[in-house]
Amino acid sequence: MRITRYILAFVITAAIFGTAFYITSHIDAQRVADIQATENNLSIDLLSSETQFELLGQLDCATLAQGSILSDELNSLDGRLSVAEQNLGSNNTQVIELKKQYSLLEIRDYLLLQQVAQKCKNVKPPIYVLYFYSNTGDCPDCSQAGDVLTYLRQTYPKFRVYSFDYHLDLSALQTLINIKKVQDVLPAFIINGQTPVYGAKTLSDMEKLIPGLKSLATSTAATSSSSL
Amino acid sequence: MEVSGSLGVYISLFLALYFEVFLLIAFLEKRPEKRSMTLPKHYPAVCIIVPCFNEVQTIGKTLESLLGLQYPKGQLSIMVVDDGSQDGTGAIAKSFAAQYEEIRYFYKENGGKYTALNFGIERTSAEFVGCLDADSFVAPEGLNEMIKKFESDPTIYALTPAMKVSAPRNILELMQTAEYTFGIFCKKMFDNLSAIQVLPGPFSIYRRVVFEKIGLFRRAHNTEDMEIAFRMHSHKLKIANAHTVYVYTTVPASLGPLIRQRTRWVQGFLQNSLDYRYMYFNPRFGNFGNFVLPLGLTASLLGIYTASYSLYRLFSFISSHLFNLQAGIPLHLSQPTLSWFYLNTSMMTFLVVITLGMTFTALLLGQRIAQNKLPIQSILYYFTLFGLIAPIWLARAVWGTVWARESTWR
Repeated sequence: MRITRYILAFVITAAIFGTAFYITSHIDAQRVADIQATENNLSIDLLSSETQFELLGQLDCATLAQGSILSDELNSLDGRLSVAEQNLGSNNTQVIELKKQYSLLEIRDYLLLQQVAQKCKNVKPPIYVLYFYSNTGDCPDCSQAGDVLTYLRQTYPKFRVYSFDYHLDLSALQTLINIKKVQDVLPAFIINGQTPVYGAKTLSDMEKLIPGLKSLATSTAATSSSSL
Repeated sequence: MEVSGSLGVYISLFLALYFEVFLLIAFLEKRPEKRSMTLPKHYPAVCIIVPCFNEVQTIGKTLESLLGLQYPKGQLSIMVVDDGSQDGTGAIAKSFAAQYEEIRYFYKENGGKYTALNFGIERTSAEFVGCLDADSFVAPEGLNEMIKKFESDPTIYALTPAMKVSAPRNILELMQTAEYTFGIFCKKMFDNLSAIQVLPGPFSIYRRVVFEKIGLFRRAHNTEDMEIAFRMHSHKLKIANAHTVYVYTTVPASLGPLIRQRTRWVQGFLQNSLDYRYMYFNPRFGNFGNFVLPLGLTASLLGIYTASYSLYRLFSFISSHLFNLQAGIPLHLSQPTLSWFYLNTSMMTFLVVITLGMTFTALLLGQRIAQNKLPIQSILYYFTLFGLIAPIWLARAVWGTVWARESTWR
């Protein structure tokens, strides 16, 4: 029996594990960079829209409505963020930073949407939901709620979903939660600015809660998203 | 559950990789030599015992393959020991015995394979004693190759052949063809490590002195071929592999018999491991005690663990979709995307791919050693099916071992 064979086999096996870990980390870093770049681009787009709004006021509501903002790209960003969260873990500091930035983008888009809706009375207001979830194990119904909203968003591409991690340590988000009086009973939904609705909802429950959904044009151009 | 669950899978993957790396190192250290065209210097007396119990379908072909051995007729005797067959096995064997003087036929009451083998050993004085299961067939040059190998190293006390599947037809048989090829590689590498753990019924040959030194076969949880290998290791009697000797064996063609056969093998390994537990991590027993025994035991347990974890994940996946259906969400699949972003690049995925790649490499090396070419379906069935059904016999074997239940032969 040669002890060197045992040691060599261990070293090679450990090296294979190390290489797999390195490659995985490298790809995850690329993912984070990709999300970061997308968020930066969206931030610029959003700032541009906000500026456009300031400049035009209600002079050109059609343009404003078109430019605002929760685009497919923001939707797909949500999906990519979910992939990163799955791979790196929800406690990963990079993931948390990306989620904060994403949540801020959502809040800013939501606010712009409100302003446009207020000033442009001739533009049909969009249908939206603010969805509050948690993935720390205290919300067993969140997964199903996310799937229901994902399905609705895929079925009605003009339906806007703003999803927020309720426990995310972000002051702007906590302010939104306080203003909207969202309790720690998750999942929670605020539909078109109404009072919060809590608990698991089936697809038909949701369709009843959002009667305007049917009026949205259907589209087959659905995007896939794992968290939403 | 998620983190601790995957941790167990990582441990399993580490051990699987370690096993494969270890064997590949053994391969690089000593590559199997090709068959030479030389003949043995001497032709010592050899007795091949054919224990049989209700083997009417195959006994004739088995005896024909023995009669076809390229070995001097006066030096080869064939002893059919009928262990109480109730079908036409006896009639066929008797007709062969009447026709060929080198074949002798004995009938005894059913007592198990080991009793049939011992019955034969006690009635021969040949220098070499072999066994050929009555569902297996040996290639004509097989015995010459065995004797050459014994001549090349007088310290070898027993030899195992390279086992191949005879005439595979259906999916399970083709799957086992790849598995046996992987086994040919493993067996040869275990030879390099002096750690062969079983002397299978199909054409293992012993120097007669082995039985004088350590005694005859034992019941040994219905795996007498494994127990005698353990006992030989405990007595420092060398076992080697003659990879140029090809033996073709009939394998189970349906799931039930396959699971029963493998349960018996794995349970036999576990129970014999318990009987010989003093050999674990005992430096006196070299790679057998430090590599083969511990890894065999942990592979059985981690195989069950990994299968259970995979089942749990599958169940979670299905139940989440069922909940969605209950919630009114129609079943729909995500649209495939070509973006690199959505590829599964987890560490586990990489490790699984590397492990499967190394298994594939071992299969290719096994093919080279055995000088055969596997059909592509064999490889396909092996990689897709084996992992699904092997946990069944692993679980049955562990269960049987824990409750000290006797495994069944068929």
